[in-house]
Amino acid sequence: MPSVSSPHKTNEIAVSVRDLSLTYTTAIDRRPTLKARLKTMGRGGKQTRVINALNQVNLDVEYGHVLGIIGANGAGKSSLMRVMAGIVPPTRGRVEVYGSVSTLLALGVGFNPSLTGRDNVYLGGLAAGMSREEIDTHFEEIAEFSELGEAIDAPMRTYSSGMYARLAFSVAATVRPDILIVDEALSTGDAKFKEKSLNRIKELRSDDRALILVSHAMATLLDVCNDVAWIHKGKLVMRGEPNTVINAYREFLQVGKSAAIDEDV
Amino acid sequence: MSTPLQVYEPFRAGLPPLRTYWKSLWSRRTFISEYSRSELREQHFDSAFGQLWLILNPLLLSAVYFLLIVIIRGSSDSTRYAHLTATLFLFYLVSNSLTGGVKSITAGQRLILNTAFPRIMLPISAVVIAVIKFLPTLAVFLVIRTVLGLAFSWQMLWAIPVLLIAMLLSLGLAITISCVNVYFRDITNFLPYMTRTLLYLSPILYEASDLTPKLRTLELFNPLFPILDSWSRALVHGQVPHISHLLIALGWAFGIFFIGTYFFLSREREFAVRL
Repeated sequence: MPSVSSPHKTNEIAVSVRDLSLTYTTAIDRRPTLKARLKTMGRGGKQTRVINALNQVNLDVEYGHVLGIIGANGAGKSSLMRVMAGIVPPTRGRVEVYGSVSTLLALGVGFNPSLTGRDNVYLGGLAAGMSREEIDTHFEEIAEFSELGEAIDAPMRTYSSGMYARLAFSVAATVRPDILIVDEALSTGDAKFKEKSLNRIKELRSDDRALILVSHAMATLLDVCNDVAWIHKGKLVMRGEPNTVINAYREFLQVGKSAAIDEDV
Repeated sequence: MSTPLQVYEPFRAGLPPLRTYWKSLWSRRTFISEYSRSELREQHFDSAFGQLWLILNPLLLSAVYFLLIVIIRGSSDSTRYAHLTATLFLFYLVSNSLTGGVKSITAGQRLILNTAFPRIMLPISAVVIAVIKFLPTLAVFLVIRTVLGLAFSWQMLWAIPVLLIAMLLSLGLAITISCVNVYFRDITNFLPYMTRTLLYLSPILYEASDLTPKLRTLELFNPLFPILDSWSRALVHGQVPHISHLLIALGWAFGIFFIGTYFFLSREREFAVRL
C-alpha cells in the first residue's frame, strides 16, 4: 500500500471497464436446502434463476476523480462494484484495474461477529493481501478514526450498525488505497461521522486517488463527485457532469427535487 | 500493492489458473495462522481452564465409551482402553474438521462478499484449528499409555505417516463439505448423523480383528477404517501397520482431497452470488 500520496497522476486511468456483461445464476431460496430440493423433486419446480446484472457496460474511472454511481435498487450498481473489485468474475468483457483497491461494499468489515473488532480488522486486512506489519502501522489510525474507543476489543456482535459502519469506513479509508470503492456505506453513521467521512473522501480526492461512490444520497453526490454515472437495468444510461446526470435521473424517477432523495435513508 | 495491474476477464469452465491461485494463497498464509489463533482465543483455549477443557472433553468421552464397552462385552483390559482413547482422539480430529469446515464458507459470507481472496483459505483454517485442538490430546494419550504400562517401541513411529494421511483426509472432507453447504445449507443438520454413523462403522469401540469376515467388508466403504486400524496397530500395539491398509487409506485421502478441491475451485468464483 502506498503510504502518503498516490503515485498516480490526475486523469490517468484507474479502472477501465470494457463491454462488461455479467450474468449469474443464483438460488431463489435465501437458504437453499437439500430438504426443499427433495420435496419439490419431480414437480419441475425451479430452484435457481438467472440474473442479467450488467449488460455491455463501458466505463473509465480516472485518478483524481470521484465517480458517483446512481440507479434504482437492483440496477446492477453493486454487481459492477464487485466485478471491479475482482470478487465476481465478468461473464463477458474485460476489466483492468491500475492500482490497489480497497472495497467498502454493502456489508462492510466484520468477518466473524464473535471475534473482536481488532481481530476482524486484522483478518480482513490479511485476507485482502496486506501483511501483518502493514496493518500494524495503520491500526492506531483506524481505531482512532472509528472513534470506537474500548469497543474495538469487544466482540463485533455487540456493535450497533453505526459502529459497524464506522469501523468499516475507517479500515477502507485509512489504508489509503489507490482506488477506493464505497457502496452505500456512508448512510449508517451519525451526522458527525458522516461529515468526517466526507472530509476524508475529499482529502483522498485531492490526493489524486480514484474514488467510486455508490449512493442514493443525491446531496452527498453533488457535494463530492465530479462525475456521475447512472445505471439502469444493467446498462449505463448516462455519464457526465453531476448536476446534469442527477437531474436527468430525478426526472426519470418523476419525484422531482424532494427531500426523500436528498437524504440518506 | 505489488501488482499494479489487475485484469478481470471471463473464466472458462473448470479450474482457475493454478499457479496464480497458489501464489495468492501462499501470500495469505498469515491469514490462516491469525484466523486459527483468534478463533481459538475466542473459544478461550489460550487460558489454563480452556486448555484443560480441551483435554478433559475427550477424556470424559473416552471414559463414557469405555463404560459402554465394559457393559456390552462384560469385560475389558488396559489395551482395549488404550485402543479406544487413541482411535477416538484421532476420530475427533476428522470430526472436528468436518464440523468446523462445513460452515466455514457460509460463515465467512461478509468477507467473501467484500474481498477477493482464495476462498479455500477458509476450510483450510478450519482444519488447522482441528489439528491444534488435536495435538494436546495426543500428549494425553501418551501419558495414558505410560500409566497403563504399555511398552514403547520404534514401530510406534508408523503413527506419523498415518496421522499425515488422516490430516489430508480431513482437509479433503472439510473442503468438500464447505462447498456442498453453500448449495445445501441443511447439510449442517445432517452432519451429526453422518459423523455418528462413521464413528460406529470405524474400529473405535471395537478392534478391526473383532469383526467377522462378513462385517469386514465395511472397511471397503469407510476411509477411516484403514486409517484408525493402522493408527491403533502402530500407537497401541507397537506393530507395523499393514502396508495395504496404508495404501488404501492414502488412496482414499488423495481421492477425496483432489475431487473435493477440484469441485471447490471450479465453484468458488460463484460463491459470492450464492451466499
